[in-house]
Amino acid sequence: MPDTHDVKPSRLEPPPVTRRSFLSIASLVSFLAAMGTALAGVLRLPKPTVEPGPVRRYKVGHPEQFPVGAETLFAEQNFLVRRDAAGVYAISTTCTHLGCAVARTAEGFACPCHGSKFAANGRVLAGPAPRPLPWLEISRAADGQLVVYVDREVPEGTHFQA
Amino acid sequence: MRTAATPPEKTSATQEFLDNLRQLPRNLKDAWFRLGRLPESEREESQATFHNLFLHLHSVRVHLRTLEPSLTLGLGLMATFSFLVLVVTGLLLMIYYKPSTALAYQSMKDIHYVVATGRFIRNIHRWAAHIMVIAVFAHMARVFFTASYKKPREFNWLVGLGLLVLTLALSFTGYLLPYDQLAYWATTIGANIANSPRELTDALGITPYFDPGGFQKRLLLGANTVGEDSLIRFYVLHVFILPLLLVILLSVHFWRIRKDGGLARPEDPAGGLAEWGGKLHRVFEPLATKTYGLMAVVRGRRPPVNRGPEGTVMSWPHLLWAELAVLMLTIAVTLALSFYIDAPLKEIANPAVPENPAKAPWYFLGLQELVSYSAFMGGLVIPTIAVIGLALIPFLDRRPGGEGIWFGMPGERDVAWQSLLFGLACTVGLLAFTVNFGWLRNWFPEIHQLWIIAINPGSILVLLFAGWSLWVLKRKDSVRLAAVALFTCFLVGFVVLTYFATVHRGPNWQFYWRPSQWPVH
Amino acid sequence: MKDPSRLYRWMLLLTSLVALGFLLAAAVRENLLAEWQQRQREYRKLLAEKATDTRGRELLRNFRIELRQVSVPALGAVDRCVSCHVGIDDPRMTDVPQPYRLHPVEILEHHPVDRYGCTICHQGQGAATNFHEAKAEDAYWDYPLLPRELTQASCMTCHDANRLPPQDVALVLEGMQLYEQKSCGSCHKLGGRGGALGPALDNEGQKTKHQLVLTNLKPPYTTWRWHQAHFRDPAGIVPGSQMKNPTVTEREALALTAYMLSLRQRDVPESYLAPDKIAQKFRALSPRPLPAEQLYRMYCFACHGDGTYGRWEKTFQRFLPAIRGTLAATATREYLETQIAQGRPGTQMPPWHLQAGGLLPEEITALVDYLRASPAAWTARGSAARSAPVARGDATRGQMLFLRNCAGCHGVAGVGGVAPELANPVFLRAADDSFLATTIRNGRAATAMPAFQRPDGAGLSEAEIADIIAFLRSLAPPSQQTTQAQEKSRAGGSP
Repeated sequence: MPDTHDVKPSRLEPPPVTRRSFLSIASLVSFLAAMGTALAGVLRLPKPTVEPGPVRRYKVGHPEQFPVGAETLFAEQNFLVRRDAAGVYAISTTCTHLGCAVARTAEGFACPCHGSKFAANGRVLAGPAPRPLPWLEISRAADGQLVVYVDREVPEGTHFQA
Repeated sequence: MRTAATPPEKTSATQEFLDNLRQLPRNLKDAWFRLGRLPESEREESQATFHNLFLHLHSVRVHLRTLEPSLTLGLGLMATFSFLVLVVTGLLLMIYYKPSTALAYQSMKDIHYVVATGRFIRNIHRWAAHIMVIAVFAHMARVFFTASYKKPREFNWLVGLGLLVLTLALSFTGYLLPYDQLAYWATTIGANIANSPRELTDALGITPYFDPGGFQKRLLLGANTVGEDSLIRFYVLHVFILPLLLVILLSVHFWRIRKDGGLARPEDPAGGLAEWGGKLHRVFEPLATKTYGLMAVVRGRRPPVNRGPEGTVMSWPHLLWAELAVLMLTIAVTLALSFYIDAPLKEIANPAVPENPAKAPWYFLGLQELVSYSAFMGGLVIPTIAVIGLALIPFLDRRPGGEGIWFGMPGERDVAWQSLLFGLACTVGLLAFTVNFGWLRNWFPEIHQLWIIAINPGSILVLLFAGWSLWVLKRKDSVRLAAVALFTCFLVGFVVLTYFATVHRGPNWQFYWRPSQWPVH
Repeated sequence: MKDPSRLYRWMLLLTSLVALGFLLAAAVRENLLAEWQQRQREYRKLLAEKATDTRGRELLRNFRIELRQVSVPALGAVDRCVSCHVGIDDPRMTDVPQPYRLHPVEILEHHPVDRYGCTICHQGQGAATNFHEAKAEDAYWDYPLLPRELTQASCMTCHDANRLPPQDVALVLEGMQLYEQKSCGSCHKLGGRGGALGPALDNEGQKTKHQLVLTNLKPPYTTWRWHQAHFRDPAGIVPGSQMKNPTVTEREALALTAYMLSLRQRDVPESYLAPDKIAQKFRALSPRPLPAEQLYRMYCFACHGDGTYGRWEKTFQRFLPAIRGTLAATATREYLETQIAQGRPGTQMPPWHLQAGGLLPEEITALVDYLRASPAAWTARGSAARSAPVARGDATRGQMLFLRNCAGCHGVAGVGGVAPELANPVFLRAADDSFLATTIRNGRAATAMPAFQRPDGAGLSEAEIADIIAFLRSLAPPSQQTTQAQEKSRAGGSP
C-alpha cells in the first residue's frame, strides 16, 4: 500500500506497520513454546502418580476353614474362594464387561447389568463380557491365614497348595 | 461462497460431499481464523481487534503514550495476568485439595510429593499471589501519582479500590487452606482482628448488648475458633465467591477504561497539535469535512488511515505485543521464584502449640504491628480510615491537571519527597520510641483501655500524617498537593511498618535486629 | 520514527526464553533427577548383579521405576519410604548398602508392611519422597525419623514392654528401671500416680520439639537429643528448672530417653493392639497395691532420701525433714497417714491420696508401717519420752515464746520459712498435743530441729511448752479450733 505511506511534514509520522520481522517470529515462537511446555506440565498434573488407597489384600482365614469342595463368597470384597483336590483358588466376582458384581447361579455366574454369563471357573458363556472372570493371587500370611490379593491376577487354573 | 470459477455443470452430491471432505481441514481453519492469515492493512488490523471477543476490550487504536513503559510500568496488566495464573493454577490445585481439617494437610503433602508438577504448581500459585498483591498496591500508587483518578475516572478509582480489597481478601482466605501451623495461627490472628471491636465495647461495658466484633468473627469462622467450619467457609470464599466478584469488578474496571477514553493522558493541544519526538506536529488538517470514521475502518482521502492522528497507533499488533510481553514477564518472574523458593508448609495445625511469633500474611504485618498496640484501632479503625480516605481522593481533589504525568503538578515532586522523609521520620521515630520506652500500658499499668484505644502509635501516626497534609494544604494552597502529602505518608508508613514487623519482630513480638537472633522455640 | 512495539517484542522474546528455561529445568528436576528415581536406578543395578537364577532374572525383568507407597488408612499413614527402601523384603539384599538392605525378617513377618506401614514404628515423614524431608530433622514435621537405637520405643504403642523379648527392648526396660530407681515418680505422674512438682509424663513421647525449651540445646533439634541433654543436666537445658539432676551416664540418659519416647497416648485401632497391651490397660484400671519398699523408692526417695536424715534443699530453700526415726516413733499413725494423704500445703510435699498422687489407702498404710518399722536405734530416743504436756498453756505467752524460740525458722506466726509451716490446717488437725510436745522437748533427731528441753530439764519448761502449743492451736482456722486449744486465745494471738 505505497499510496498511504507518503509522508507529509504536517502529519505525525506514522509508524511503519510491522510485518513478519525475524524478531516478531522469534518472540512469537518462543512464547508459544513456553506456553506449550507449561500446558504439557499442566496436563500431567491430573493423572495420579500413585494408587491412593491401601493395597487390597484380605485375610480370609485358615486353610482348614476351606474343605475340599467348599465355596465361600466374600461379597463386599467381590471375590470367592474355593478349594478342590488341586488346592485353593480365588475368583473375582466383578464382571469384566463394565464392573458390576456378578451373582452366583446354578451354571456359574450371571451379571445383572448387561446379561453376561460365566461358567463356574470364570469362562465367558454368553453376553458382552470380553474376557473370563480373573483368578486372584493367594498367599499365606505369617500367622498361617490365607491372603487374597484382589488387585493381582494369576493365570486360570493356578491353585494355592495349602 | 460463490466464485466466478465455479463450473456451470452440476456436480453430484457424492462428489460434493467428497470435495467438502477434502477441503475440511482448510475450511475448518477458515472458520477458526476468519482472515486466514495475519492482518496486513490497518483495516484488517482493526477487524482483528474488534471481531474477537477477547481483543475487543481494546480500542482499535491506542495512544502512543499508553505504550510508553514508564507511564504505567505495566502494573495493572501484571496484576491481571497474575490473577490469570492464579485461576489456572488454583483450578489445578483444586483437583487434589480436600477442604477438610482431617485431610487438607495430607492432601497438601501429596501435592508436594507425588502429584506430577504439584509442588511447582503450588509454588507458582503462592508466588503469583504475592506478585498480585504487590502489583495491585503498586498499580494504585501509580494511578495516584499520575493523577489518573481525576474526572471522569473517579468511578474506576472506586472500582479499583474494591479490587484491592478483594485481592487482599482472596489472599487471606487462601492462607488457611493448607491447614498447617502458619495457616492456623495467621487465620486465628486475622479472625481476632475482626473480633477487635470487642476491645471498645468491653471498655464501654456494652458487649452483652451490642457485640459487632463477636458477630464478625463468628460470621468469618462459623465458630469461635478456627476449625472445620472455618475451613469450608474460607474455601468457598477463596475458590468461588471472591474470584467471581473479582472477575465482575475486573470486567467493569476494563470496561470503564474504554469508556473513560483509555489511559489518562494530558489533553492533546487544541488546534490539533501534538508534541512527539521533541517536535510539535499538526494532528489534523484544518479541514471542514473531516470524517474520522468509526473505529478507523473508513477508507477515504481524508483523514487518511495509517497516519496516526492524535499520536495513536494500531492496537493490533502494538498493544498486543506490549500485553504479551507483560504477560510473559509476569510468568517468567513467577516461574523463576517458584523454581528456587518453595511455598512454605509447616507442621500440621496444632491448636495446642502456638507458633511463636505467629505472624499474619506479610501484607497484613503492618496492621499487625499497629494491632500490637490496640487491636481495635490498628485492626479496624485505621484500615477503615485509610480505605475511606482513598475512596474520597477523587471527590476532594477535583481540579483538573497533571493527568497521566508522573508528579504532573508544579511542586508535586518536592512535596512527595518531603512527605516521604516526613513519613519515614515519623514512623521510624515512633517505632524506635516504643521499642525503647514502651507505651502507656508500660508506664501506667492501671490505665483504662479507652485511653489505649485513643492514644497509641497508630492513632498518633494518623494524626501526624493528617496534620502534615493540612499544613501542606495551607502552605501550598493546593488540594492535590495535600492529597499527595497524605498518600505518600500513608504509603511510607505502610511500607515501613510492614518491613519492621516482617524483619524486626520476633517471638513474643519482641524487637530483634535480625531473625537469626530469635531464640529457638 | 521508532517502532513503538519493538521493545516489547524484545521483552517477549527474552521473557519467553527465560520462562521456557525454567519450565524445562523444573521438568528435568522433577522427572529425571528426583532422588527416589536415582535410588531405584541404583537398585536396578543391584538387582542385575544378583540376577543369577531364573527367579532373580524375573525380578529384574518385572522391576519398574515408579513411585511406591504403603497406604494404611487405619493408622493415618501413607508411607513412601518403600520408594527408596526397595529391597526391604528381598532376602538376598543382606550385603548391600542402605537404603536397599533387607529389613530384619522376623519383625516384618509379624508386622507386614502392607498393614503397618513404616512410620508407626520408625516415625519420620512417610509422605516425603526424599531422604532429607523423610528424616525430617530440620523439616517442618512433628515427628522426625527415630534413630535406630530408639526405634524400640515405638513397640510400646501396641505392646506391654514387660511381655516382649527383653533383648529387643533392652533400652526401654533399662529406662523403666532407672525411672523407678531415680525416684522420678516423686515429682512426675505416670498413669495417675506420682508427685505434682513436675509435669505428668503420660504423653511425653508424643511431644513435639516445639513443646520443649530448645534455647540451650545445640541443633539439630529433636526431642530425643533434648531428653538426653536434659537428663544429663536439667537446669542447663531448662533455665530455672527445679528438677533434681538424676546423675546418669550417657548410656543411662539414652535409656531414660527411650523410655520417655515410649510413653505415647496414641489412639491406635484396637485390632493393632497386642493382647498384652490390652491386658496392661485393663490392669491400670484396678491397680494392685505395690510393696511399701518399692513405693518408697518410687515416690519418696527423690526428696527424703532413705529418710534417716533431714537435709537442706537448695532449690526449695527449705529443710526436708527426716521421716523415719523420731518422727515415725513420736507421731501417731493417723498423723503420718494424714501427712502422706493430704500432703503439706505450703511446702513441696504434695498430697498422695488416690485422687491426687494416686496411692491406694492400703498403700499409704503400708508406707506408714514401713516408716515406723525402722531399726531400733533410730527410734530409741524419741519413743521413750512421748507424752502430752500436763497443763493447758496460755496462747499470749506462747506467742512471745514462739517469737523468741521458733519464729527464726518457722516464720513469724508459723507461716513457714526454712522450716515447715506450722500454721497449716492439715498439720494442726493431724498433730496431737503429745506429738507437738515431744517434738519440742526432744527435737527431731537427724534434722535441723533441735531439742528445746535438755534431759536434765533445762531449756523450756513444761508450762512453756504448753503455752507454745496453745499458741499453735490458735493459729488453726476458727472452725478447727477445738477444745484442745485455749478458748481465750483468739484475743491473744490470732494473726
